[in-house]
Amino acid sequence: MLKIKKTKLNEFIDFLNRDYSVYAPVEHGKKTTFKKIETALEIDHSAYNTSKSAKEVFFPQAEVMFKYSKEGLKVPERNEKPFAIWAIRNCDAKSLKMLDSVFGDARQHPGKDYFKDPYWKQKYDNCLVFNLACNEPLSTCFCHWFDGNPFDKTGSDVFVVETADHYIMEDISDKGKKFIDSYDKAEKADDNDVKVIDELKATAESYLGDKIDTKPLFDKLKKIWDEPVWDEVSAKCINCGACTFVCPTCHCFDVDDEGKDGKGSRIRLWDSCMFQLFTKEASGHNPRGVAVQRVRQRIMHKYNYFRDNYQVDLCTGCGRCVSVCPVNLDIREVIKKVLEY
Amino acid sequence: MCNNTYIPIPMKVEKILSENPDGSLRTFDLSFVNEEDKFDYMPGQFCEFSILGKGESPFGIASSPTEEGILKFTVNRTGSVTNEIHYLNVGDIVGIRGPLGNWYPLEKLKGKDVVIIGGGFAFTTLRSMLIYMLENRKDYGDITVIYGARNPDLLIYKEELAEWDKRDDLTLHLTIDTPVEGWAKHTGFVPTITKEVSPDPSAWAIVCGPPIMIKFTLPVLKELGFDDTRIYTSLERRMKCGIGKCGRCGIGSKYVCIDGPVFSFEELKSIPDAF
Amino acid sequence: MINELRSQVKKLLEDKTVDIVIGYGKGSLPNTATPIFITKPEDADQLIFDNTCRNNLTVYLTKDRKKLKKDYKKIGIVSKGCDARSVVLYTVENQIKREQAHIIGVPCNGVFEKKKIQTITEGKEVIDIKVEGDEVTLKGRAFEKKVPLKEVLSDSCIYCRYPDAKEYDTFIGEPRVEVEVAEEFKVVTDFEDKTAEERWKYIEEEYSKCIRCYACRNVCPSCYCNECFVDQNDPQWIGKTPEVTDSVIFHLIRNLHIAGRCVDCGSCVTACPVDLDLRIMNKKVEKEVKERFNYTAGLDINEKPAMVSFCENEKQDFIM
Ligand SMILES: Cc1cc2nc3c(=O)[nH]c(=O)nc-3n(C[C@H](O)[C@H](O)[C@H](O)COP(=O)(O)OP(=O)(O)OC[C@H]3O[C@@H](n4cnc5c(N)ncnc54)[C@H](O)[C@@H]3O)c2cc1C
Ligand code: SF4
Ligand code: SF4
Ligand code: SF4
Ligand code: SF4
Ligand code: SF4
Ligand code: FES
Repeated sequence: MLKIKKTKLNEFIDFLNRDYSVYAPVEHGKKTTFKKIETALEIDHSAYNTSKSAKEVFFPQAEVMFKYSKEGLKVPERNEKPFAIWAIRNCDAKSLKMLDSVFGDARQHPGKDYFKDPYWKQKYDNCLVFNLACNEPLSTCFCHWFDGNPFDKTGSDVFVVETADHYIMEDISDKGKKFIDSYDKAEKADDNDVKVIDELKATAESYLGDKIDTKPLFDKLKKIWDEPVWDEVSAKCINCGACTFVCPTCHCFDVDDEGKDGKGSRIRLWDSCMFQLFTKEASGHNPRGVAVQRVRQRIMHKYNYFRDNYQVDLCTGCGRCVSVCPVNLDIREVIKKVLEY
Repeated sequence: MCNNTYIPIPMKVEKILSENPDGSLRTFDLSFVNEEDKFDYMPGQFCEFSILGKGESPFGIASSPTEEGILKFTVNRTGSVTNEIHYLNVGDIVGIRGPLGNWYPLEKLKGKDVVIIGGGFAFTTLRSMLIYMLENRKDYGDITVIYGARNPDLLIYKEELAEWDKRDDLTLHLTIDTPVEGWAKHTGFVPTITKEVSPDPSAWAIVCGPPIMIKFTLPVLKELGFDDTRIYTSLERRMKCGIGKCGRCGIGSKYVCIDGPVFSFEELKSIPDAF
Repeated sequence: MINELRSQVKKLLEDKTVDIVIGYGKGSLPNTATPIFITKPEDADQLIFDNTCRNNLTVYLTKDRKKLKKDYKKIGIVSKGCDARSVVLYTVENQIKREQAHIIGVPCNGVFEKKKIQTITEGKEVIDIKVEGDEVTLKGRAFEKKVPLKEVLSDSCIYCRYPDAKEYDTFIGEPRVEVEVAEEFKVVTDFEDKTAEERWKYIEEEYSKCIRCYACRNVCPSCYCNECFVDQNDPQWIGKTPEVTDSVIFHLIRNLHIAGRCVDCGSCVTACPVDLDLRIMNKKVEKEVKERFNYTAGLDINEKPAMVSFCENEKQDFIM
């Protein structure tokens, strides 16, 4: 374990910047999102969690897949250095792993290049994840429902804890170790630091709300697929889609051509199962034409279908959907209702 | 870039055939522009057909792997991409991604009797399978085809239907919904004709057509004694990526584009929103 | 007040004046209300009404919610001034028959704008809010802050002239007809005072934040088209990217569509997950419509909506 003085973060970020494109939380119009930074001054550490998740670094909301013209097709070139992502919270670090299981490979045809998503892979592979521990979880945080906790290290290469005047860094992966070992300006962390971390961890955990056992959710959902409980839980949803846009694990996208006169680009854009048009077919038939079917799809995908395929729930408990929902449709309440039903 | 699954390969329009008098159904034969782009496929698989500037749409491959050098698609004109496809001329270059999805259980069908039940223009991949089986005729038992449409005009591949009708190694039952003067074959809905034909339930059934046809054919097959594990169909859902990423074609925990489009009824039974 | 609301709703349900009541219940987060649907008289006790009751509940009468209209003959709606105006709008636009909605007016002294609170606390989470007269106390884990009520209210409320329902079937208490508001269109006049360049720059900067989630459209009572122009693909009116050029077009067209129809409920402002300043353009069109046609949306149930009486040769340059 190493530590660097908060006042010296600048030097560290400069060092990181040499071999990596560094992404960190940055303020953008009162909200924080992950953006590429050049210096530590741009970082906004005040956000307890970023308004938008870190997925957009690797899976941007709109991405050009290729440009076309009379001369043919051209995939935008990427000469950037590998990505490093600084101050990502554990819930987002974990979500990247989930997204990688979808984009990085294919459950049905593992190992087949054909099913790998090149746009995701070129950004995600070789990236370095600095996971910042959550000293002050919010009332919307519920990572502890899904095997997480504010000081969970899964998904990180380097685990970072912010103390009064230091960043304490623990290497988790080989990649992470190699990197922080190469930085010679850090101090060694001592027993006292370990004690401080334990204290911070205990405080953070005390902020979390009640824990619910989500293990029975999978079977329960399968059983009640057809039951009227869905009418009840979905009644107030206005299908705005905000929950899926801010979600670090939602990964549905649309593909759209933009251009005219034989020139333009094919782009992909975030999309959402909460929208009516998502499944509407040319014939007019819509397998999920009614709002309740769409709310059910979101819940089923998160806590049943995805687990069916990848043995993990498609939710890290980051709570963003809870805080953005304009009608306060709290996914935790839905989980509770389903479990009680 | 060669590993980029999202990049369509160029193919040239070789032949265009209008399948019906109102021109809403057209069949396109495409050839590979570059030798190295050629790919193998199986009956039941589909491709994403690109019209740059308009987008992509999935279509079942109507040609059989035994018809070398070409890909055949029959396209019903319904919206923006299909409209644009209908404007294509011979010689035009289009983009194709594929082959995508799984295929009919041809291995399992070996040595078995097969009943093919189709409705409307969904006969595309059934054509592929039928031609494939006819080319490898000795591998399969009796082949029965029941194919219907609203009226004679809406049956596709009319010339081939006439040829198949003459063959004695397959039984073809054509039907139309309501009587039309000059029509000498069956009249009535596909499920009714299936009941009349009453295929032997030891056969395997492949059913493909509009949802409503499937819905009413299924009970008939069950009544005849067909087992769910021996009834197959091909599903349609709205699609974008075709490779299990974009999430659009999800039914339960399956994606139609990679887990399907071909499913047995046994599988579909356990998928909550398949119908 | 709250007891009267509950007992009135109980009565309305008991004597079958209404079959269902859409109201506010306590939300799952601190200082949050959530829409609730009540059909049993005994559930009326779940109702709340205070400064957290933000949503415009009339959205449940249109869009995907047409089922509600089919299932229930008479629908009671707990309404602030702006909500009642939406019911009026729906009535003049033939979205609902006036007699199907039973407007339960409640006296409104404004709703909190969470975003303002967050700015005041610099992002720190507020766990409790206490209102005492014109002052509120914001309480967090390790802080407490007192601020004037006005600073945490939504702009729509600060400049609201019709806080109480003008059109109602039941009112809890005594409705105020209209309150005096100084500089109702201040946000617009300030904007208009800028140079064209500054205005454009502001619009560009603001709208570059939009992630095109359409939450603003979906919470808006006045946006109820079956298929919104942004979703049409044949022809495709505008690009779907969050590029500022596309977003500006989306917002300008939406502004045109709600011209003379926006009731300034502020729902869109609250819903936007990236805090776009949506109100400024809403008010701009409201002001234009008011000046040109002397029309304000949702006030008079007998008046034809401005945009219906819009003539082809009318000047169309009124947006920028
Ligand atoms: C596996 C599969 C095989 C198919 N095979 C054939 C075939 O052989 N012949 C044929 O005529 N049609 C087939 N279809 C249906 C065909 O894909 C749609 O009719 C077509 O996409 C409509 O596109 P559009 O742009 O003209 O319509 P629009 O209404 O303009 O649709 C816009 C977009 O929605 C999507 N979309 C709309 N409807 C469908 C749909 N039913 N399925 C998938 N995507 C849809 C497409 O991505 C399209 O680009 C098949 C669909 C699937 C899933
Ligand atoms: S579903 Fe909600 S809590 Fe779960 S990961 Fe997504 S945004 Fe976070
Ligand atoms: S919840 Fe909906 S938007 Fe999110 S990944 Fe699943 S299907 Fe896609
Ligand atoms: S944010 Fe809330 S209202 Fe919007 S789609 Fe999600 S659950 Fe529904
Ligand atoms: S535009 Fe905004 S303020 Fe106006 S009616 Fe719609 S949601 Fe309310
Ligand atoms: S809610 Fe905000 S981000 Fe979403 S579309 Fe509206 S303005 Fe854009
Ligand atoms: S089409 Fe994208 S997941 Fe099936």
